[in-house]
Formats: sequence, C-alpha cells, structure tokens
Amino acid sequence: MSEVADKLGALPDSSAIAMRLKADQYFDAIQGMLDRFATKKDLEVVYVTSTIPSQSIINALEVLEIPMDHIWFVDCISQIMMSQAKRHAHAIIVESPTMLENIMLKVEFLLRKHADRNALVVLDSINSLAIHNNTKILSEFLHILVNNLRSRGAYTIIFSMQEYETEDIRNMLVLVSDESIELGT
Amino acid sequence: MPTKERSDGERERCLIGIDAIDHILNGGIPRGNTVLISGSVGTGKTSICVEFLIRGALNGENSLYLSVTEPTDKLLKNVIPFDFFDERLTKQGKLQFIDLPRMYEKLGIDTEELDFDQTRLLADTIAGVVEDQKVKRLVLDSVTSVCYRIKDQERIRDFLLRLGTALSSRGCTTLLVSEIMSSEEGYSRWGVEEAIADGVIVTGNLERRGDLLRTLQIVKMRGTTHSRAKYVLDLTTAGVLLVPLLKGGSVAGGG
Repeated sequence: MSEVADKLGALPDSSAIAMRLKADQYFDAIQGMLDRFATKKDLEVVYVTSTIPSQSIINALEVLEIPMDHIWFVDCISQIMMSQAKRHAHAIIVESPTMLENIMLKVEFLLRKHADRNALVVLDSINSLAIHNNTKILSEFLHILVNNLRSRGAYTIIFSMQEYETEDIRNMLVLVSDESIELGT
Repeated sequence: MPTKERSDGERERCLIGIDAIDHILNGGIPRGNTVLISGSVGTGKTSICVEFLIRGALNGENSLYLSVTEPTDKLLKNVIPFDFFDERLTKQGKLQFIDLPRMYEKLGIDTEELDFDQTRLLADTIAGVVEDQKVKRLVLDSVTSVCYRIKDQERIRDFLLRLGTALSSRGCTTLLVSEIMSSEEGYSRWGVEEAIADGVIVTGNLERRGDLLRTLQIVKMRGTTHSRAKYVLDLTTAGVLLVPLLKGGSVAGGG
C-alpha cells in the first residue's frame, strides 16, 4: 500500500490517474489511496463505487481503522442489487450504474458541500461501469467528468482491474488519464 | 421598455443563481424578461423558481412568490430545505410569499371566470405590488391556473402582455410556471403563453433504457445567445444542479 501512496504522491495536483491493478491488490490499493495519500494531502474523498456496495467498503475501512470523516460514497450498485443493507450517512445512492449523469450530479453535490477542501474522486471501477454502459456513452462520461474535475483542481483515480480490461477500456483510459499506475511493477 | 445595457452593449442580466443555467444563458436572464418555465409534474419547476427567488433575495433583490395552486405554508413544507436559505429573508421582507386566492378576495373577484376588467385589474394589482415593494424577481406559480380562470385566449393574451410590460418596465424579471402534461405538445396549456414570453425553459422527464432522468432545456431567450442542448438536473439541498445529457449514441433520436 505504500507503493500506491508513493506513486500517487509523486504526481502533480489535479492529475487524472488510471490505476491498473489485479483483484488481489484491491484492498491494498484502497488503503494506500485513502489512508495514506488522501490523509497526507488533506483531501476530501468522493468514492464512486459500481463494483461492490459502499457498505462492504465501509466495513473494510472500519476493520482497517481508516476514519470515515472525509470519505463520501456515491453508490450506484446497492440499489440495483436490491441490497437491504443499512445506508451509511456518508453514502448517496444512485439508482443504477447506467445513470451516468446522476453519478456526475452526485459528485458535483458532494464537491459543493465540501468546497473548502481539495478533493480526490475515485471511480471504482471502469470495468464494472463498462458492464452496464456502452463504450461511446462511457467515454463521453469519463471525458466530461475528468475534465470537470481537472478544472476544479481535484484528483481523479480510475480503477481498472487488469483481469477484466478490454481494448476499449485501455483506449478510454489513455484518452482521459494523465498517468497510468500499474501496481506490482 | 427601459431595460439597462451593460458597457459592452449587452442587456443587463439577472443572475438566476443556479450556476449551470446562468452559464447556459451566457450570464443569466436579460433583466426584465418574462420567462415561461414549463413542464409536467415533478420535473423541478417549483424548486428552480424558489432557488431563483432565494438567490436574488440573498443578493439584496426583493423577491416575490405568487402562489396560486398551493398555500404558502404547504409549499414551504414541501420545498427542498436549501442549505443557503436564511429565514431572515422572509422576516426582513426581502423574500415574500403571497397566496393569489387572497388577492382575488381583496379585489372582490369571486366569479369562476374573469372578465376583461377583472383580468386587467389583476394584472394592474400585481404590477402595483411589484412597484410598491420594489420587487426585482417575481414568480407566478402557476400562470396556467390563472389562465384557467381567464379562459378566453384574447383575454389571456391581454393579461400576459399587460403584466409582462408592466413588470419589465420596473426592471422585474419574472418566471411564469406553466403546467403541461408529459404527453402535451408545445410549452403551455393555452398556446398563448409561450408566444408572448421572452423566454421558455422546459423541464421534463426522459426515459432511457428504463431510467427516468429529469431534464432541462432552454428553448428560447430573447436578448442573449444560449445553448439549446438538453441537460440533466438534480434537486439537492445545495441547489439545483445540472450536467449535460450524455448522448453516447445510445439515446433513440439523439435524446
């Protein structure tokens, strides 16, 4: 996890980063990113999850003793899974990962609510978003979102699980990101 | 119509206070314009109007909400609890709410249908309140309900022209809420409202692959260039937020 924090720390402000990782590196990446990098940089974190429900990540953060004070979730998978889990006060639900505009709107809402701090927006993950959206609309979404975040000085980290990468996904990441970090290399 | 010009020759603007809409309008509504905000139920018309008034009042502009269909106390209970709302605005009179049925009562209008004189009396009374209270932002929610009592298209035209001219001459920027059915063509129930208004903002619902999105589109706005693209909106405690509607080749008919 220090590898993640070190690599992110070396990047300039408002970078858009493609973080290419393997499934077994997932929680290490989250810990390095949230516990070390975001804390050190004093960032407000907006974590968009379309991979696993926010509550699962929150549970993991609790086990790892990572404070939630400055971490907010835009959860676009719990509703579609008809999850009965309780909703955390730091989680906003988007009905479906196909509602890409609503994801942008919820990110915008959270950034406005915490406008006094610089932000890190995490997209977890491009692979799960690609399951629910075609390449054209997903590229358009990423292009608008990343440019908007860049103009506000926010960091963007886009998770990509290497096991599920396609040519289309690699092309999208190249298009929108300034840097690509591959863990374990 | 004495609307002021800016030093660059453009008309003075009334910033709505909803950043994205002001951006779409290249700096806000030209001051004094009468704008129809048209849409079916649940599409965000009232929230946009209330934010327009609160933002104006916060900026020192006297703002008035004329409610026809919903009593003020009920409206205030149901409206989004905006973070930026300050109760002092109503106490100081910067933000006022008037129930139009009370105005009808005071004017002695108790007939089902307004005749020519009553229609003119109503327009003049509203203009008088705007003059007396130095109102710079007005919302009439809804103009459709008022027109229901006027009924005749010629009288509706006369009412809107008279009211619009009087308000514009006082530098008052006005939003007229138009209630339409989702299946309806055009932007108003009577067809007259959209022709007379200086601007038309349309809110709606867009169904895309089973998802229902709230949308907003500015169809017409005299006195400024503007985007005519469709946007998706969200009603939040931080205010009304907009992002562009994604096309992505996935929307039948281009959205």
